[in-house]
Amino acid sequence: MRNHVRLGAAVAIAFAFAAAGCGSEKESSGTTEAAGTAKKECGTVTLNEQAWAGSTANTYIAKYVLENNLGCNVQITKITEIPVFQAMADGKVDAVLEDWQHVDQYEQYIDNGTKVVQGGPLGVEGHIGWYIPKYLMDQHPEFKSWEGLKGKETIFKTAESGSQGMFLGGDPSYVQKDKELIKALGLNFKFVTAGAEPAQVARWSQLYKQKKPVIFYWYTPQYLNQEYDLAEVMLPKRFDGCTDDAKAGGDVNQYKCAYDVTIINKIFSKKFADSGSPAYDMLKKFKLTNDDQELVAKWIAGDKMDPDAAGKKWADENKSKVDSWLS
Amino acid sequence: MSVATERVSAPVVIHHVPWWRSRAGLVAGIFALIFIGFLVARSNFPWPAALTWTSLAGNLDDFQAWLIDQRGAANPNPLFAVFDGFRIFADKLVTWLNDLLVWMTWVGTAVAGTLIVLRWGGWRAGLIILSAFASFALMGLWEESIQTLALMLAAVGLSLLVGMPLGILAGRSTRFQRAITPVLDAMQIVPPFAYLMPVVILFSVGPAAAVISTMIYAVPVAIRITALGIRGVTPNTVEAAQALGATRLQTLFKVQLPLARRMLLLSVNQTILFALSMVVIAGLIGGRGLGDVVTNGLYSYPARALLGGFAIVIMAIALDRATSAIAERTDPTRRHVTDELRRRLRLLTAGTAVGVLGAVVLAKVFGAGGVYPDQFETSTTVYQANVDGWVLKKIQGALDYVQDPSSFVFGITEPIGNFLVQYGLEPLRTFFVETPWFVTLVGVVAIAYVLSGLRPAITAFLMLSAIGVLGVWEPAMDTASQVLVATVIAVAFGVALGVWAAESSAVSKSLRPVNDVLQTLPQLVYIIPFIYLMPVSRVPGVVAGVLYAVPVVIRLVERGVRDVAPNTVEAATAFGATRLQVLTKVKVPLARDAIMLGINQGIIMVLAVVVIGGLVGSGALGDEVARGLQRNEFGQGVVASLAILALGIALDRVTQGERRTRPGGGGLRSLIRIRQRQRRAA
Repeated sequence: MRNHVRLGAAVAIAFAFAAAGCGSEKESSGTTEAAGTAKKECGTVTLNEQAWAGSTANTYIAKYVLENNLGCNVQITKITEIPVFQAMADGKVDAVLEDWQHVDQYEQYIDNGTKVVQGGPLGVEGHIGWYIPKYLMDQHPEFKSWEGLKGKETIFKTAESGSQGMFLGGDPSYVQKDKELIKALGLNFKFVTAGAEPAQVARWSQLYKQKKPVIFYWYTPQYLNQEYDLAEVMLPKRFDGCTDDAKAGGDVNQYKCAYDVTIINKIFSKKFADSGSPAYDMLKKFKLTNDDQELVAKWIAGDKMDPDAAGKKWADENKSKVDSWLS
Repeated sequence: MSVATERVSAPVVIHHVPWWRSRAGLVAGIFALIFIGFLVARSNFPWPAALTWTSLAGNLDDFQAWLIDQRGAANPNPLFAVFDGFRIFADKLVTWLNDLLVWMTWVGTAVAGTLIVLRWGGWRAGLIILSAFASFALMGLWEESIQTLALMLAAVGLSLLVGMPLGILAGRSTRFQRAITPVLDAMQIVPPFAYLMPVVILFSVGPAAAVISTMIYAVPVAIRITALGIRGVTPNTVEAAQALGATRLQTLFKVQLPLARRMLLLSVNQTILFALSMVVIAGLIGGRGLGDVVTNGLYSYPARALLGGFAIVIMAIALDRATSAIAERTDPTRRHVTDELRRRLRLLTAGTAVGVLGAVVLAKVFGAGGVYPDQFETSTTVYQANVDGWVLKKIQGALDYVQDPSSFVFGITEPIGNFLVQYGLEPLRTFFVETPWFVTLVGVVAIAYVLSGLRPAITAFLMLSAIGVLGVWEPAMDTASQVLVATVIAVAFGVALGVWAAESSAVSKSLRPVNDVLQTLPQLVYIIPFIYLMPVSRVPGVVAGVLYAVPVVIRLVERGVRDVAPNTVEAATAFGATRLQVLTKVKVPLARDAIMLGINQGIIMVLAVVVIGGLVGSGALGDEVARGLQRNEFGQGVVASLAILALGIALDRVTQGERRTRPGGGGLRSLIRIRQRQRRAA
């Protein structure tokens, strides 16, 4: 008997909530309709933000401009790099503003599929290379080129590299070929991986603070480049034994050692590209330089500024750039 | 209940054998032989290419590409309609729950949660829920917490909807249980990174994908505990019911289910905790909420990632305490309900309903927001409504100290890390990787035979061979060396603390919250300080493994020592044994089985965090699994995951010991039993 009464009460509560929930659904759909008529032209745009600070920077600049100048309603998702292509194919994400050449996905979703399209370059150019702290470069000017490293690898010795020098590899999820390079160039380095980027940064920044020698995989644009003084070790353009990125093989002149410049692309879902939304026109023209992106990323990650505020600040200070996207 | 009170069986007679014929002696001998093999022929015999199935990863990649093409085709296979149907349903469910919680306003949600738990769980549980809501508000994470809560409610509800009927089936049919056990093992050991992409292809991103990946991990728990509960009902009760002419259905609904009530509620509780441990992973594929806070914070704002991690812990502990309290207080066998009490309870229920509705209505009338605001405004001033800025500053301060290589703590931790690498991890890895493969294979199988018997030895052989055939012998041996180091440390700490906790209830009480935090805090979060403090690759991964495994070892050992029959202890005391003698000569030897189980479980737990290790520099198998998702090496990721599964099964069989009857069957089940005993003891 008691159970029945309790059940009854529970059911009553549940119904009350259900009714409330329905009410809220209607309410919310009502408001979107109203918004839809008022700002018919743009509607909702879903941008995907990646985990790193640079992506947060460009996503929030775009968000501010879309909301402020075009009256869009911008949603931000945070889906990791590879699954986001499926999300665009399903129309759940409209745009990714910073894609580091996921060639396999381009082939799968853009060349063979019909639901994702290229959005042109972001303007930011990725550059990957071998970096050392500036103070070390000052002590050893010969490190400007990889040849200067030869015979001096043991300067980079640590507890785990044994008798060799330690080369600190990049985030395993990033494009890289350092193991192959070390072998091809005949350097006495032990390749050590520190794991994901935050862990790798922890490793080299600590050695940096101790003013110890360290050589590592690094790249631009990266907001930390504004915080730490780093210098790049030049790698040979071509060298017998280096494997090409595209695994071309054959002629020695075809082999590449230094990393290619990576053109960062914008990627859109086909649905969004065909929607005729002014947001698409704006994002298509959306362009940033490496400096723009690093600066805003530093505000966000370095100075802990709220991303929305950072996007607004940059847009207010760079009116002419913003206008060029809107024209 | 019969299951819960089952004791670790203690040997009655201790046989004396000369040391060289004892198990320890034999194992040492086998190790010596393996070492000789290593010295004689190191590096000469990597796993032969002829015995490798090289095309598997490629085939898996092709399969994934095919799946994506099919999914995106103009006229997709009607089978996808099924997945779409579920996707739409789950998306709607989560969105609806989230909208509901937002519609009720933050005041309404907090009051509803608190009052409902207060009514059925008692004031203490109600208070815990209230403080959980308060901390979400103060941490400035209200919106994210509500998103995670909505996701969890949906995922747990669906997990129970699927898991409980299957669990009942498994509880009633041994054949069915045998058939699904390996599937359940795989669902729990295979790292989620391996199946995230297929889940996204089938269910797209968003709540549905998050719910599915959470369910893959949580459903096995619901099935296992439910089955255990049904099996726990004593056979003579069932026979009696049948003798009285009850049909199968009547027996189930009138006898087995009511008697298994506690276990069924435990399965709800455990399903919640397992589901919560997937929050971070779910964030990667559009689960939103606290998972996003953790993953994005890691790159640009580690202090915020830590804050998000704490919010997850608070939610886990609050839900754990609330569900256990509800289970406890509504147990009909535990209290006598008089007519008077019944009437009062009815009134209380009505009061709760009125209170909840009243709170929602009032909050609506006074215009409380859907989410807790950042600021309160009066006509004259604006008050900051949360303290997250202050907390973040404190956490950042702690992190800054940790990051400072000239700090006192760093001066201690760095040498420890270096020592571990130079004298533990490096030599062991060299030994594991460079020993000829057939020497390792035969040696491990021999150890399994000595320690556990013939069948486990055969399983271990098959699993190790599978690792070789999959083409990942070397990274698997690398991983095994790290697992070994982490397990040794975890067992050393776990046994010591476990014995101490068994002897002193003060220690036991103070360890419990620490254990809870370690088991629910996302590993990515508590690993952050160690990345800075022990900056040598593979050490933070080992630390993560140790921290995850220690609570389990502590709990198992503590329970084992506590369960030593009191009359044995009394007898020893009567013969004049000191407390120390009782401990070392009686209790610990008699708790040997529990300690062995602790070692066994420690290994499995360490293996469970191998992928996290891959993210912080451990390399080897964990690295390959993580890369599988992030660099689109799906096939290789799956292969490495299978290798982790095989390694887990092999190590489990090697160390399981002579548990002749394995009532639960697998490691997890014994774990659950222990957790349950723990709960009963507390």
